[in-house]
Amino acid sequence: MTLNKIADSYLCPYCMVELDGFNSLRAHVLAEHANEPPPLPEGVIQLTINKQAYQLYIQPEWTLYHVIHDLLGLTGTKLFCDQGVCGSCTVIMDGRPVLSCMTLAIECHGKIIETIEGISADTHPLIEAYIKHHALQCGYCTPGFIVTSKALLDKNAEPTELEIKEALAGNLCRCGTYPQHPKAVLDAAHTLRKEE
Amino acid sequence: MAEEPGSYRKLRSAGGYQVGAEPLEVTFKEIGKRGQRRLDGYEKATGKALYTRDLQLPGMLYACVLRSPYAHARIKLMDTHLAEALPGVKAVLRFDDPQIKGRELNGSYFGQGWARPKSAGWALKPVHLVLADEAWYEGQPMGAVVAAESEEIARQALSLIRIDWEELPFILDPEEALKPGAPILRPGAESNEIHDPRKYFEEGDVEKGFQEADQIIQFKARRRPHLWAGAEMPSVLVRWLDSRLELWVHQQQPYIAKQLIAEWLNLPMGKVTINTVYQGCSFGGRGNPANSSENGINILASLLSKATGRPVKMLYDRRDTFFGESGDMAFSDFKVGFKKDGTITAVQIKNIFAVYLAATGIDHFVDNTRIKNLSCEATPVDVSIGPAWWARCEHLPSCLSLTLVFDHVAAELGMDPIEVALLNDGTHGYSTQYLDQYKREHSFPERDSLKECIEVGKRAIGWEEKWHTPGTRKLENGKLHGIAFTWDHNWDDTRGTGSAAVMIENDGSVSIIGHHVDIGPNPWTPLCQIVADEIGVPFESVHIKPWTTDSGFVLMSPDGSCNLVTNGNIVRKAAAKARQLLLELAAEIFEVGSPDELELRDGIISVRADPAKCKPVREIVAKSMPTHVSSAFWTQPPIIGWAWHNQGIWGQANETGRPRLCRQAHFMEVEVDPDTGQVEVTRVVNVNDVGRAVSPEGVEGQMYGGTTMGVSRGTIEEMIWDPQTGVLLNGNLLDYKYATLLDCGPIDTPFIETGLGHGPYGASGIGEATATIIPALLGPAVYNAIGHWVDDFPITPDKVLKALGKI
Repeated sequence: MTLNKIADSYLCPYCMVELDGFNSLRAHVLAEHANEPPPLPEGVIQLTINKQAYQLYIQPEWTLYHVIHDLLGLTGTKLFCDQGVCGSCTVIMDGRPVLSCMTLAIECHGKIIETIEGISADTHPLIEAYIKHHALQCGYCTPGFIVTSKALLDKNAEPTELEIKEALAGNLCRCGTYPQHPKAVLDAAHTLRKEE
Repeated sequence: MAEEPGSYRKLRSAGGYQVGAEPLEVTFKEIGKRGQRRLDGYEKATGKALYTRDLQLPGMLYACVLRSPYAHARIKLMDTHLAEALPGVKAVLRFDDPQIKGRELNGSYFGQGWARPKSAGWALKPVHLVLADEAWYEGQPMGAVVAAESEEIARQALSLIRIDWEELPFILDPEEALKPGAPILRPGAESNEIHDPRKYFEEGDVEKGFQEADQIIQFKARRRPHLWAGAEMPSVLVRWLDSRLELWVHQQQPYIAKQLIAEWLNLPMGKVTINTVYQGCSFGGRGNPANSSENGINILASLLSKATGRPVKMLYDRRDTFFGESGDMAFSDFKVGFKKDGTITAVQIKNIFAVYLAATGIDHFVDNTRIKNLSCEATPVDVSIGPAWWARCEHLPSCLSLTLVFDHVAAELGMDPIEVALLNDGTHGYSTQYLDQYKREHSFPERDSLKECIEVGKRAIGWEEKWHTPGTRKLENGKLHGIAFTWDHNWDDTRGTGSAAVMIENDGSVSIIGHHVDIGPNPWTPLCQIVADEIGVPFESVHIKPWTTDSGFVLMSPDGSCNLVTNGNIVRKAAAKARQLLLELAAEIFEVGSPDELELRDGIISVRADPAKCKPVREIVAKSMPTHVSSAFWTQPPIIGWAWHNQGIWGQANETGRPRLCRQAHFMEVEVDPDTGQVEVTRVVNVNDVGRAVSPEGVEGQMYGGTTMGVSRGTIEEMIWDPQTGVLLNGNLLDYKYATLLDCGPIDTPFIETGLGHGPYGASGIGEATATIIPALLGPAVYNAIGHWVDDFPITPDKVLKALGKI
């Protein structure tokens, strides 16, 4: 819907009802939509990333990864397989780990997203546990593992080793750091419980 | 006071390598310490670590290259008008542009020695042009390259290029490629065989060895190609300025990149700056500077940056990484003669390799056995698949040979494979008595590395209780239990050269200066541990500045298992020089006769005879140069010591005068499902004699990391091409599978430290060994489970079922 069309035909920008003149449009908006925030232009979304509100113009083909990594400069979210196989681009969306390379940004309006930058700004014990246990080598896939682990610990404060392995089985690490991840996550879970 | 740089000859001797153990003069406080916080940890865990793929510059364009859709085809006509007219496209370079036409990818760097292009397979082929009009394999970068405002526009532009193709015959199978009548892939060649001056190897007299044998066996093996598929896909960011050229590369050997790009563009090397950030894993594969994914993208992106006047970032996508990152494929024929007691008298190997650079397969029989009669014929062949390259590592053929020969012999004799190994351990046809004598004469500890590794490993896996005759142990879950052993020398690759400076700053903190890339093994923490101990300062005060060739010093690239082994020696020497300068200065300040009268510990310099006289390092550095009163508020120059070091000759032990003394032993348990053929690796025990572990966690990381990769290679990894079209069918990480966290059982890594390595403090390498050996160990493990050999790797369920006679 273009602005001209709205102007010519007195469409309500909130609900698209057509009115017969400016005054009736004004009266309609005041009566029906006075308490609503102004409507967003087409292609604009609002979302929260790492506790910060964003309003972004999004092209329909952009992935969430592209927006987070290339446009917002949150480069901890990594592109590894580019196909939803490796988990390196994982972010937490509304409490669930999702693959940002397989998510269209235009569909993320109203979402609450957490990236590795948010997790590390909160000094989550997973960060120190990963360093301590050498659960990283080249480090490229590491943020994806930590984000996935954080999503697990948010839901399950006392995961078993098998639950951790299953949660992380969708994350690839070519350096083969696998044996260290359950150790690091168990350690972080322990620290979190002590903090509480 | 400062040491004058001497003549080249003097420098050579100053950096030359040692034969024999060096006396330990340093007190270990940091070296070998467990629990040291790794320097790269915080950046990597928080996502703050930058990789080449993450970088952006203002006004940056994106570049992508066209790829051949055919296994062998030539461009007859190419129309790029539509691509050029697409909004957002800033430049299109074609194969027939004068600056590109006929230009080879490789420069003179690869013009010498056995790695010269004519002899070295696809990777270094002379016809390998930077942008060709003829494709030799599907996926080959060729034809045209585009720079545009976004990656999407660049890829869209490529799709708008109209090409009239001439399809040409292709061939995928190396054995077929050698047969008479096979289509010849290289114009003007008489066969598809690549001439290799190292094709024939013989030591001793193999025929005589077979005559001495009580028994002779023959068998074939096959290794299908796998891929290292690094986490970070190739990219480069280039800024062409008329006065200089600046690159951010994703590469393991950045100094060679500088050499190659400068030569190609006819620029003085001094005008080229190569920067590096963290590298998203590599394993040697990102160390082929002559490949399209390294030197090729550097050249094309530079030309595009010059053409557009803007920074250019060139990107590969995931499928692109499947062309040029594969390991070799091999067809092997074995003939082995041995006595009834397990003494091997002769080994004859015939190997055919596809698109591979120089690998014989016999090397490890030479390096760590007493077998006197050895021969190997290695034939590299051109086929229509992308170039293979060394990736963790070029000894894959040798490890396969060693494991299969030893385990086949043990199986024929019904002997414990451990006994056969110990009976044949040695070097260059000599027994372990020769090695014992060598150790005595060269001040090495007189320890038997293989025996020690085996004892530790046997206990850890429970060998005595678990080892059984093949195909005889069925578990309660219905699966067949297999257990296997193999061994080798540890990776003591004795090559590597580099330089670095150690700078003691005005505040007493210490910096290591030298360009170096981190591909994952935590390389910088151990270097700082070494410098801390060598100088006598706390670990926390030592840092490294590895980010650019402009630092002037170049540490050894992280390959050949000589990353720490070479660089440890470099920084150790540089630290010793800086320490000496510091103590000479301190001797003047304390007014003592000689630096020997001083002690430096924990960052404090004190007079030995009167420890009350002491000063922290920073107070000495601040007085390092005489200063005029008028400029006294200026920062004083720091103290710098620099050194270079040559860790040895790239070659076998007899060429270096340093036989391999460290050994490794590996043990594996598997469970094979007789109904599905599925092989599950339930336990691996790696015992590497690393000589000295500067960073214990670093050593273990390479061991379990390599094991994971090795199990993955041995069980699931295989590139598959369509025989009808020559097109790669599984060029993505969904269809080309590699191990996840659930795909390997527990891995034990009880390494030992005998001090028998030729590296600093008796250290030996660790980066490549396990990943190279473990795939072969699947062979005897599955044999022990099912009682039949599956000498075809990876060992997939279909092959197991076939061996069991079920399909």
